[in-house]
Amino acid sequence: MRAFAAQIIPSDQSLPGADEAGAVYFIDRAFGMPFFADIVPVVRAGLADLDTRARTLGERDFASLSPGRQVAIMRQVDRTPFFAAARMLVVIGTFADPSYGGNRHGAGRTIVGVEHRPTYSAPYGWYDAQPGPSATKPDA
Amino acid sequence: MTQRAYGESETVDFVIVGSGAAGGVLAKELATAGFDLVVLEAGPWQQPSQFTHDELAVERENAMLNLAFEPIQTIRANESEPARLNTGRALAYRRGVGGSSVHFAANYWRFRPIDFKERSRWGSISGTGFADWPITYEELEPYYTKVDWEIGVSGAAGPFDPRRSRPYPLPPLPNKASGVVLERGARALGLHAQVSPLAILSKPYDGRSPCLACGHCSYYGCEFGAKSSTLATVIPKAVATGRCEIRTESTAVRVETNPSGRATGVVYRDRDGRERRQRSRAVIIAANGAETTRLLLLSTSSAFPNGLANSSGNVGRYIMFNGHAGTFGRFEHPLNEYKGPVATRMVHDFYDADPKRGFYGGGGIDARFNYQPIGFALGVLPNDVPTWGAEFKRALTDYFTHSVRFYAHITSLPVATNTITLDHDHPDRWGRPGLCLTFTEHPDDMKAKHWFRDRTEELMVAAGAARLWTQPVLPADGSVHLLGTARMGNDPSESVVDRYHRAHDVRNLFICDGSSFVTSGRGQPTMTIQALAFRAADHIARFARSHDI
Repeated sequence: MRAFAAQIIPSDQSLPGADEAGAVYFIDRAFGMPFFADIVPVVRAGLADLDTRARTLGERDFASLSPGRQVAIMRQVDRTPFFAAARMLVVIGTFADPSYGGNRHGAGRTIVGVEHRPTYSAPYGWYDAQPGPSATKPDA
Repeated sequence: MTQRAYGESETVDFVIVGSGAAGGVLAKELATAGFDLVVLEAGPWQQPSQFTHDELAVERENAMLNLAFEPIQTIRANESEPARLNTGRALAYRRGVGGSSVHFAANYWRFRPIDFKERSRWGSISGTGFADWPITYEELEPYYTKVDWEIGVSGAAGPFDPRRSRPYPLPPLPNKASGVVLERGARALGLHAQVSPLAILSKPYDGRSPCLACGHCSYYGCEFGAKSSTLATVIPKAVATGRCEIRTESTAVRVETNPSGRATGVVYRDRDGRERRQRSRAVIIAANGAETTRLLLLSTSSAFPNGLANSSGNVGRYIMFNGHAGTFGRFEHPLNEYKGPVATRMVHDFYDADPKRGFYGGGGIDARFNYQPIGFALGVLPNDVPTWGAEFKRALTDYFTHSVRFYAHITSLPVATNTITLDHDHPDRWGRPGLCLTFTEHPDDMKAKHWFRDRTEELMVAAGAARLWTQPVLPADGSVHLLGTARMGNDPSESVVDRYHRAHDVRNLFICDGSSFVTSGRGQPTMTIQALAFRAADHIARFARSHDI
């Protein structure tokens, strides 16, 4: 699962990915959450299938494959219900509230590029910061 | 907050079913007027400090909604089809004190005079119950103003506004970047962007704090009390009178009537599922267009074999959701829509229906991107962006802070065959029959969605988006706008309640919520639901005082 997650939202030099976010820790938890009960068997079977495909390539399991071969196998299955369900778990694990076990070290916020503050004040973006008739001050 | 508690044997003046947008207002007005009342609320009483920004719980698990309590609803296109599970939006509303006013986006558009007399202007539309309201804008205007001032609405007059008797009590909230680009697009097309009125405080008001721009209005509860939900506004005042008890986790199952056809109280299930009864001199149902329907249809007796107040057969009929359609755009610079309220500018140039369009339909367009990261990553990116891998990740970074949607809020027609009915095969946890939605969009409603999507696309081009994309226009499968299922009218054979929200069939039963709507308006129904509730409360109090109830 960890190798799979790392290919869904990969890590790179500038930004963390699902791996740094600890998405798998969330997914461990999700496997026991009633809300995800319907998809857990699908995800488990799909992960086993990834390992089976890896063995036909002579590796022990999916995680042992080179990243390039992992991607090649994922391309074979990326329109299946398993893939959609597993991808969803990776995304949720990357962005959900850290209390669920993932989204560590603010990884989710860093990936989408948001400031982390509980509240904000205007101007919020670039366009409303430009002088002009549109700018409306709070007390205008 | 300590509150009055009525004993089981006491008969109160009113039982109000529901503490949402309408029920909260009715409770405050009637308790303040000196009446004793019990509000039955199906959900819990959450404090603002219990509201979170937990997207998984709120937006995925629907923790605050009826859908968490009652996960199965059914849907079918017409009566001859078997009902299937509704895996779409379904009939959604919040359970809990304050109802859906707790999680609304707080857009407070008034209806305009045309909304109340559109049938006379436009003519009949086949297959629909398109009709004038029995009241006019002028009659409701004082109550719109009352909503503005009683709960706190921030805004500024716009070029197409109807007459108002008093200015807004609060200035607009700061314009967002999305509002600036919508203004830019509108100007280029000769249209007019105006301030979106919001039931969110721009300044301290009535002992409450102003908005701190946390960016979690839509779907979430406001932990600062700045959003003018009934939880934050009128309910504390109702309780403070010492005459109002909000009885939580109390799910109404039946309105009881006596042999002379008068309502005598409401039977409900408490949190443990035990059946209990609250007697009252009159009953007010304000449970939203879905639950009001269910309660009326469940309240059968020999005198009311088809459900209470249903001699017209119109209880549950004419469900309207408001149509929606939009265009996404990505801009060169950051918009940062994750900050601030949902929408600060809107375009109302297309509000009126126009025969030249070739269909009936009108609406308004605002600029918003009310997505949190999970919903955004799973459902918003353009179709040509890969769903995984390095390009997916790059898009997450490039689009979240730079994107917005121009979003149209559109009329829905009251179609006679669009209904909410009881589904005996899928009961809820208290054994009440579930809800089945029978729904096929009127062709004009689909045409209106397409037409408005084209307008949002033109606006997005004119606003200078670096790229734009749309989502397909689909028929509705549910909504949080639950309108029209106990419509108001002068003719008892065509409507459920009269112009004062009194049930035609039951003298001491009143129904006031989104179900009262005769036509849908252009989205954003809550302002009108509350204006109706303030008006209904005035009349109900008058009837009660003169023993005309």
